[in-house]
Amino acid sequence: MKEMLPLTEAFYYILIVLYTEPSHGYGIMQDTEKMSNGRVKIGAGTLYTALNTLLNKGLIELYPVPEGTDTRRKMYAITENGRQVVSAEVARLEELLGVGRQALITKKG
Amino acid sequence: MSEKLVKRHRMIMAWNYEKGEQWMNELSSQGLHFKKGGLISSSFVRDESVRYTYRMDYQTGQSRENGKFQEYLDLYQDAGWEYVSSFGLTWHYFRREWQPGEEPQLYTDRESLIMLYKRLLGVISAMLFVNLFIMILNMVNLNTFFTEGLWTIGVPLMILYLGLFALLGYGCWKIKKKVNNLKLQV
Repeated sequence: MKEMLPLTEAFYYILIVLYTEPSHGYGIMQDTEKMSNGRVKIGAGTLYTALNTLLNKGLIELYPVPEGTDTRRKMYAITENGRQVVSAEVARLEELLGVGRQALITKKG
Repeated sequence: MSEKLVKRHRMIMAWNYEKGEQWMNELSSQGLHFKKGGLISSSFVRDESVRYTYRMDYQTGQSRENGKFQEYLDLYQDAGWEYVSSFGLTWHYFRREWQPGEEPQLYTDRESLIMLYKRLLGVISAMLFVNLFIMILNMVNLNTFFTEGLWTIGVPLMILYLGLFALLGYGCWKIKKKVNNLKLQV
């Protein structure tokens, strides 16, 4: 799993969006834009490529589309491996953030 | 009402497909909207009331039968891209209405763009090697070309092959350069 780190922003946001609940491509795009306050907009080609890569690596899987919803749209869910990658990435980012903040404080003081 | 198609000629090179997009977008700003692409000529529809932004995409391994292609189109459509047409099984044209100040892209990060270039590089270098192989086979089997018909067949054939290799080799080099540029850009 370690070879997946660091995650690209697109990979990271896809996994974070799916961490709470399964979603379809369009939902992932919208949630990503909302979560990042409009900063990260994942293009269609990038999303399509990323979803296929994540499926191949077993970090996400297809989720059976619930009845009564648009069956045309594929839904994706995060896998156990995917959750582990997210935890490892969050820990890595925390370390980076920690030393960064420390450096900023020391510089000021 | 049937649409009147207008032809325009231009060869879009796979390793320079961005130039093709530019060309389509420029024509669209003049009221000529791309419909269908060919090797050297493309069809356009005239309509002065709209303007589009066109993008090209290259995908491999999609079969029309297993629904993968439809899923792909659905995803792009959800993202606001109207599917226009395809060239062969691998090049796909999309468009969306032009908005001032916006430059919508299909690929929004370096990694996915590098993967796109690598798909292209894989296919072009495969073409290069297949042709090299065919040429070597020809050399072995048809060495009479060089003894009896050197100037009628042998030399013209060599020139044709050299031209083809030069073109494909140039394409590979161009794409390699693009990948390297993206990798350097941190």
